[in-house]
Amino acid sequence: MKYAAIIALFGVLAATSAEAADPLLVGVIAPTSGPVAVVGVRQLSAIQWWQQDVNAKGGYHGRQVELITCDDQGNPETAVTCARDLIGRHALFLLNTSVTGPVRATVPLVKDGPVMIVASPTIEPSPQSFVFQGLPTDLEITRALDDFLKANKVDRLAMIAATDATGEQGVVDAQKVFPQAGVKLELTRIDLRANDASIQLAGVMKSNPQALYSSYSGGGAAAVVKSYVNLGLTVPLIISNGNVTDAFIAVIKNDMPPRLLGLGLRSIVPALVADAQNRARIDYFEKSYQAWKHEPVDQLNHLGLLLADIAGAILANVGDPGNAVADRSFLESGPIVSVQTIHYGPDSHIALKAENMAVVEYKGGHWTKADPLR
Amino acid sequence: MNPLTQAIISGLMMGAVYALLATGLTIVYHTAQIMNIAHGESYAVAGILTALVAAWGMPLWLALAAGILAAVLFALLLERVLLRPRRSWSINSLILVTLAVAFFIRGLLNLAVGADPVSFPRLFVGPPLRLLGGVLPLQGAGLIAIGVLSALAMPLFLAGTRLGRQLRAAAENPDAAELMGVNVDFARALAFAIAGAYGALGALLLVPMVSVDFQSGLAMTMRGFIAAALGGMSPILAIACGLGLGLAEAFVTTYWGALAKDPIVFLALIGLALWQSRHIRFGGSLRA
Repeated sequence: MKYAAIIALFGVLAATSAEAADPLLVGVIAPTSGPVAVVGVRQLSAIQWWQQDVNAKGGYHGRQVELITCDDQGNPETAVTCARDLIGRHALFLLNTSVTGPVRATVPLVKDGPVMIVASPTIEPSPQSFVFQGLPTDLEITRALDDFLKANKVDRLAMIAATDATGEQGVVDAQKVFPQAGVKLELTRIDLRANDASIQLAGVMKSNPQALYSSYSGGGAAAVVKSYVNLGLTVPLIISNGNVTDAFIAVIKNDMPPRLLGLGLRSIVPALVADAQNRARIDYFEKSYQAWKHEPVDQLNHLGLLLADIAGAILANVGDPGNAVADRSFLESGPIVSVQTIHYGPDSHIALKAENMAVVEYKGGHWTKADPLR
Repeated sequence: MNPLTQAIISGLMMGAVYALLATGLTIVYHTAQIMNIAHGESYAVAGILTALVAAWGMPLWLALAAGILAAVLFALLLERVLLRPRRSWSINSLILVTLAVAFFIRGLLNLAVGADPVSFPRLFVGPPLRLLGGVLPLQGAGLIAIGVLSALAMPLFLAGTRLGRQLRAAAENPDAAELMGVNVDFARALAFAIAGAYGALGALLLVPMVSVDFQSGLAMTMRGFIAAALGGMSPILAIACGLGLGLAEAFVTTYWGALAKDPIVFLALIGLALWQSRHIRFGGSLRA
């Protein structure tokens, strides 16, 4: 009897010790290969920076964070396989850094949990779901652009959108926002595989717009910028939030428009961020990330960090982060401080609004606050 | 801007590249009697390598030379290492080999430079030319002029020079050509090298105005193949069909929009191909 009690005691101690050492598993779906690889690679880098930073400080409640990642190649079928695999491996929750189609394909898999935090602005999660948006929606981003146009008294806008699902959503939102605001919209589309947009641009330029907006996200949008230069255009060019990256600038560096503007998170221009906590987070992240990775920080890194900080808030504050209902209640309960402050609520699973975005301008090798349009 | 003029300008620019690619395909077809599905990879290899070398800070001329050299070397290796030792295989099997090579190169380029497009500076720099309400960049003017002239040089070379006639003889009757003193192996290798150079030329002229990524090769093969097939594998008709294809795509995009381009262009091409296929000979047999 005495021996049995000792054995049981050892068993309990062993189990407790094993539990204390168990890592916290965070599932990450990232398109690190395929046509949108840059989106996944840059966000994943920031999430990996967060992991090593947290673990170096002792993890959460004495437990280290372990990332289990899956490359969905930007493909919906692969994304579903990734989500199934990560859920099957008992990831506490999922960070999904992929694009519209793959994210949409994975949403049904988490209808009963775990929580999935996504970074595709075309996704507008239901407040009843376990899906949380880490960015503003495309509609909010379009409103941010509209605010800038109003402030600059622009009432004629040309827009070029891709023919994929993301482009379609951009068109729907633009047609909802701009006509209501009194902005005359001249719209054209470009096939994702096309490498010349000069015909489309020549068509929309007939309306003599005061600015040209390319909502096309991804490396292929270089075709728009290069065609713009081929036509010798001078009207200010505003690129989508997905292309406010160093990788995109590298592709178009030989063909820079006279004025290149972009829709970005305010955090990529720290001077536009008023909150001291957000600025401290940006400063710490940028210095530490550059020392760790030896590359400059761009908007996709900021976005990856936003997702990671949401994950960190769950791990720090929820007693059982494997409980999807508890995670959701926590996220809906209050602000989360990151490079920008995130506000979810019981009636909204969207992290940021139009006021969290800004129109920025590429000048002198980096993104700054946009000058007025003349 | 005048949409019609701009459509003609854009169509001619793309068409000149299709003509170059179609010319490369026809010379290989006429010499080795196979359809080289990996032909477009010479475009992708040259474009990406030039962009890489230029990004390393090398002079542009050196980057361009490296791009052409890489494309020619790739085409020569394909012929010497994979196709020549398997000359006894059926044409269909050899076409499959070139398809596999296309996917191999595509994967290799993805591994080497990632999925993002790359580009390099223009050869012709200056304000664009403004013609009849359209805009033609200087690089575009260079592309149309050099592309069309280079493509036109090929039929002249094949018909008007001793070496050209040897290339044709090597294709039509390799045994008889051997007996007449033609080095058939050399002729075939030369045809692949020329085709590689044509693919590279297309890339060096077009890529600075657009961009290139690891997936560009097969798309270019497809356009070049359509032009070559519609031209009945005739080098001179392939040029006309390449220009026609570029113009057709541009007109559809201008008047029906980008979404309509593929359905309308390919529907028209299916009709044309069905009509034209009576004249396309593969290995001497008639295909309907």
